[in-house]
Amino acid sequence: MMQLHSIRLRLLKWLIPPILLMNLGAAALAYALAPPALRDAVLRTLVLLEIVLALACVALIWFSVSNGLRPLSRLRAELNQREGDDLAPVDAAHVPYELEPVVSALNGLLAKVGEGAQARQDFLANVAHQLRTPLAGLKTQLEWLGARQAQADSAESVRLMLSATERMIRQTNQLLSLARAEPQHFEKARLEPLALDVLVAEAVQPLVDLASLKDIDIGFDLQPAIISGDRFLLRDLLDNLVDNAIRYTPAQGAVTVTVRPGLLMVEDNGPGIPPDKREQVFSRYVRLDDKVHGSGLGLAIVRDIAAVHGARLTLSQPAGGHGALFMVKFS
Amino acid sequence: MAYIPKTGRTNMHVLVVEDDAVLADGLSRALGGHAMQVQLVADGLQADQILQRAGTGAVDVVVLDIGLPGIDGFEVVRRLRARGATVPVLLLTARDAVEDRVRGLEQGADDYLVKPFASAELVARVRALARRNAARPAALSLGDLALDAATKRARVGEKVIELSVREWAVLEYLLQHASRVVSKQQIIDAILPWGEDLSLNAVEVYISRLRLKIADAGVTLRTIRGFGYMLELAA
Repeated sequence: MMQLHSIRLRLLKWLIPPILLMNLGAAALAYALAPPALRDAVLRTLVLLEIVLALACVALIWFSVSNGLRPLSRLRAELNQREGDDLAPVDAAHVPYELEPVVSALNGLLAKVGEGAQARQDFLANVAHQLRTPLAGLKTQLEWLGARQAQADSAESVRLMLSATERMIRQTNQLLSLARAEPQHFEKARLEPLALDVLVAEAVQPLVDLASLKDIDIGFDLQPAIISGDRFLLRDLLDNLVDNAIRYTPAQGAVTVTVRPGLLMVEDNGPGIPPDKREQVFSRYVRLDDKVHGSGLGLAIVRDIAAVHGARLTLSQPAGGHGALFMVKFS
Repeated sequence: MAYIPKTGRTNMHVLVVEDDAVLADGLSRALGGHAMQVQLVADGLQADQILQRAGTGAVDVVVLDIGLPGIDGFEVVRRLRARGATVPVLLLTARDAVEDRVRGLEQGADDYLVKPFASAELVARVRALARRNAARPAALSLGDLALDAATKRARVGEKVIELSVREWAVLEYLLQHASRVVSKQQIIDAILPWGEDLSLNAVEVYISRLRLKIADAGVTLRTIRGFGYMLELAA
């Protein structure tokens, strides 16, 4: 048997046969009771009447059901409009009585999903924090050993351990910024007016230290710029953009951080990113070059942080036609 | 964790309060390698008692973890400041939540460092804190370059080099911040405390003269493009 998934067709299926049967019965009765001379005229009138009534009936049912379903399509439109991370409950005040159980069940599910996401983020942040002290111990010990190790092969081994530790530290910090930048964790109240140029100036030391490891010439071009933002998230954004630029720029290359009113730019003279790959680089765990170490999280974090600031993030090629230019435009 | 009694005022005395044994040992090695005397404590209450008993000047800098058994780092600082002690405190925190930093500084800590950190960063911060509190400027040196603040004399190895007053001030500032990036503006602010006007270009002139004078000192005076300079040991 054919399954009817439409409420309208279901209603027609159950309503039309009894109406038809009733009408046919009444028509047969009228036909039988009518005087024989009038039977032809009665029959014609009845058939005509039956056709008109049946069509009117179908139209009426179709119209009333469609009308009755309108709140449902409004609900669908509202849900379709939502961002994937918007887990706020659906407003039950304006839905008809019949839909209330559905909406409240939906809200229950949304709440459970929200709690799950929250628990996952809390867990992530907690683990990352717990890892910091042992990582700090490991790093300090290895740095001490590295400074004293005279034998070339042992020194190389210590250097490798230190670089693995640095990678673990970076991953841990990225997990934390990811947890922090989750839009449902982000309250607009945390945005405050701040000087972007000062924020970059405060980060110069670690960025220079990072660039020195790869013998990259890092430069700054900072003009005063006041924007509305969260200083810790923006610092994460800057760190990740510069780290990415240094990672993909060959030794002796150049990376430049520029601040203009409402604008932060990080430019490098590395191989650049082909136009058809530019959208991809902001996705989590996507890395275009397997030969370079990385988590694939850095630019996804940059994208999330730009999003919660309502800033526009673009990737293009510098005016020189060589390398990559990341631009964050604050509104 | 033996307490090493102080022999004189030449070595800096640092009290490290950290309950993670591996990190505490690492901190002690990192600071000890820079001629600092380190005393390790793993418990907040014990740290509080030591600081209470220590006379003024017995401890030069306190490196203090926040999460501690006994009482936490915030409480140690609060009690310390409540007693009126001015010893500089560097907080170590595993959390970088805004509230933690703000709360630590409100309780009277002087600086904070988020774990994990580079040993060089820790040493630089501890030195900076000690210097802020020190009555007399110490002798500064890096590689073969040495500055004696008392006699205002600069030497490269055994050779005395002639510096103008401004050049001396710039070099002293760079040496005080060795291996740290300093901006041109910071240099101007440091050498002209009385608000005189000096252009950024003038700083470049002093730097290029200094580069010639300290060429043989085994140090590099790096330019950080568009920002400032960094004096470090030559590679």
